[in-house]
Amino acid sequence: MKAEELFKELNVEYEMMKVKGNEDPRYRVKVNADKLEDIIVKFKENGFRHFVALSCVDWIKDGKFELIYHLFSYETLEDVFLSIYIPRDEPKYRSLRHLFPQIETYEREIHEMFGVDFEGNDRLIPLILEDWNDMPPMRKDFDTEKYAKEKYGSIPPVEGGDEE
Amino acid sequence: MNENPFPSIIPEKDWKKIQRMLSKRSLWMIHFCTGCGAMEMPPTMTSRYDMERFGIIPMATPRQADLLLVTGYVAVKTLKRIVRVYEQMQDPKYVISFGSCPINGGLYWDSYNTIKRLDKYIPVDIYIAGCMPRPEAIMDGFLKLMKDIDEGRADGWLRYRKYYDKYRANQMRVFRRWDE
Amino acid sequence: MKEFELFIGPQHVGVTGNMMYHIWVDGDTVVKAETNVGYLHRGFEKLMERRSWLMNIALIPRICVPEPDVNEAAYAMAVESLMGWDIPERAKYIRTIILELARISGHLLAISGYAGAIGLYTLPNWAIGDRDYILDLFEQLTGGRVYHIFIFPGGVRWDLPDGFLRKLGKVLDYLEERMKLYDEVMFRNEIFFRRAIDIGVIPKDKAIEWGVTGPNLRACGYPYDVRKTDPYAAYPDVEFEIPHYPKFGEFEAYGHGCDCYSRMIVRRLEIEQSIRILRQVIEKIPDGPHILKLPNPIAWKVPAGYAYARVESSKGEFGYLVISDGGKMPYRVHVRGPSYTHGINVMEAIAPGLNIADFAPTAFSLDVCPPDIER
Repeated sequence: MKAEELFKELNVEYEMMKVKGNEDPRYRVKVNADKLEDIIVKFKENGFRHFVALSCVDWIKDGKFELIYHLFSYETLEDVFLSIYIPRDEPKYRSLRHLFPQIETYEREIHEMFGVDFEGNDRLIPLILEDWNDMPPMRKDFDTEKYAKEKYGSIPPVEGGDEE
Repeated sequence: MNENPFPSIIPEKDWKKIQRMLSKRSLWMIHFCTGCGAMEMPPTMTSRYDMERFGIIPMATPRQADLLLVTGYVAVKTLKRIVRVYEQMQDPKYVISFGSCPINGGLYWDSYNTIKRLDKYIPVDIYIAGCMPRPEAIMDGFLKLMKDIDEGRADGWLRYRKYYDKYRANQMRVFRRWDE
Repeated sequence: MKEFELFIGPQHVGVTGNMMYHIWVDGDTVVKAETNVGYLHRGFEKLMERRSWLMNIALIPRICVPEPDVNEAAYAMAVESLMGWDIPERAKYIRTIILELARISGHLLAISGYAGAIGLYTLPNWAIGDRDYILDLFEQLTGGRVYHIFIFPGGVRWDLPDGFLRKLGKVLDYLEERMKLYDEVMFRNEIFFRRAIDIGVIPKDKAIEWGVTGPNLRACGYPYDVRKTDPYAAYPDVEFEIPHYPKFGEFEAYGHGCDCYSRMIVRRLEIEQSIRILRQVIEKIPDGPHILKLPNPIAWKVPAGYAYARVESSKGEFGYLVISDGGKMPYRVHVRGPSYTHGINVMEAIAPGLNIADFAPTAFSLDVCPPDIER
């Protein structure tokens, strides 16, 4: 089914994203956090079987995290981006790994890099970093240059020579 | 072998020269692609640039290798494995580092996960500049290493033994647990 | 029998880069596998937020080391979407030349990695030697063998030098001759049939759900390719086919699809299709400007919005989600690499039941590239 018909059935508002270079239409929808799972199941049954990526954006001025779920249909050649907003102080959301298996790995990475807790996912062990006990590094208030200078610049060279 | 096989015929100081001349022509490098500089290793190994004519071939295990190539930037998780591989190699052993990232951090100077100077953690004998170095530059580095071995200047393994406490203290500040 | 724990670790001849597979075996059969990545993490997405829009182009090719041009093309297309630019026709054809040459060199690396894993060492030596001719062409055009920094938002950096198209034609003639030798040595070899047919099978009805893309998906029987489903650059103007199971042309369609044999044959046939595309581009390339007029790079602000651009690399679908808030630096860039799904959940699902000796060839045939898992 085409994406516009599904939007009409579900009664949600959408907007189109600008596209140059590629050619397929891309739709962006803001949904309610409680209704997301039903919407994804409905899209999955109607041809949107390719789950492309799950991204997280830190809107520090609004005090929210945005989670973007991206689906693609090989039959009608359309992209759909579903975004939900969760509060930044205690970020948590339901895990949707029973729908697509790669969502488990995306949730592991977002837990490690942003600090979002996904309930129902029991495999939230670190994927990329090892022995990390500072703040989650992709948040906007983590200063990476200061961290690099303090941690690596303060180690003395072994046999003399200049510091950088 | 490092001991003189015929102590009555060959004097000790001549044996050192002969041993260095023979070992510089059969350095075996360990097969470990640690970073993006490893993309130029296959062209160096195959027939166009051919480093096998100098006696350098890739080897699978650290116990039978002499040369460790740190090809490019080093993330913290890889540094632990590099130190383990370096300590498993037998003396005399040499380290060559590629690219501008082990010299001063390179393109990732403000990253939270890469180390900025390799010299603080293991001793380095030769640096090859470039991003990434061409196969001709890599061969030039190998020839310089062979000349240094001949003249007795490539002694990174002796410095590691001498300043072991300082190297170990620097390493433990970067990764907190050694046994995991 | 008790299970034995093994590490196919970062320093190993049988992994495609710097990653680790943690496997449990019972006798000679693998029972469970877990992937361990993170040895190459540099924090690209954080670094990209601290550099301006034009400075990022020097940083981006390092995300996928065997084939860096797809990163530049996807980022440039995303920025053009936000700015609303239409690039000139000649720039689209030059981008196609670069992307197709990168695809041939990526497939030659994948075939040579697989051949080395099953013990045929002649083929890596030949393939890497032949790939050097392509790197020579890149050096004449862009100045660098591996990292090019050539595709800018708005077009390409400079025009083709004189005589480049003639040299390109000669390299394509040479590669077509060499493909016949590769067929004799590997693709019609009885040992390759024994080691590759029905090994490492992905179930056909679950392939799209697991996120498999690229040649791996075409080997399962689905004729989906981003160059046809979401076209970009000069691909709407050229004719080419999409090799998929079971339409393998002059090769026999052994096995039941989705195994190592189909994946290797799809890559071999795609090299032929790329040579066909390049010959058409050499004839049809139009004249004109090669880049739009770029604004002052120090004060370049991109209007706010969301953009997603995707490109077909030799490993699968490469995507960039670029979010801007109207400033001089990107607000958030998310890179979606093809090996994120192939290397982690597909490998963990198809590993149980394999022999230890077949584990490394399966990983090579899926073409897992660790830098784009953890960037």
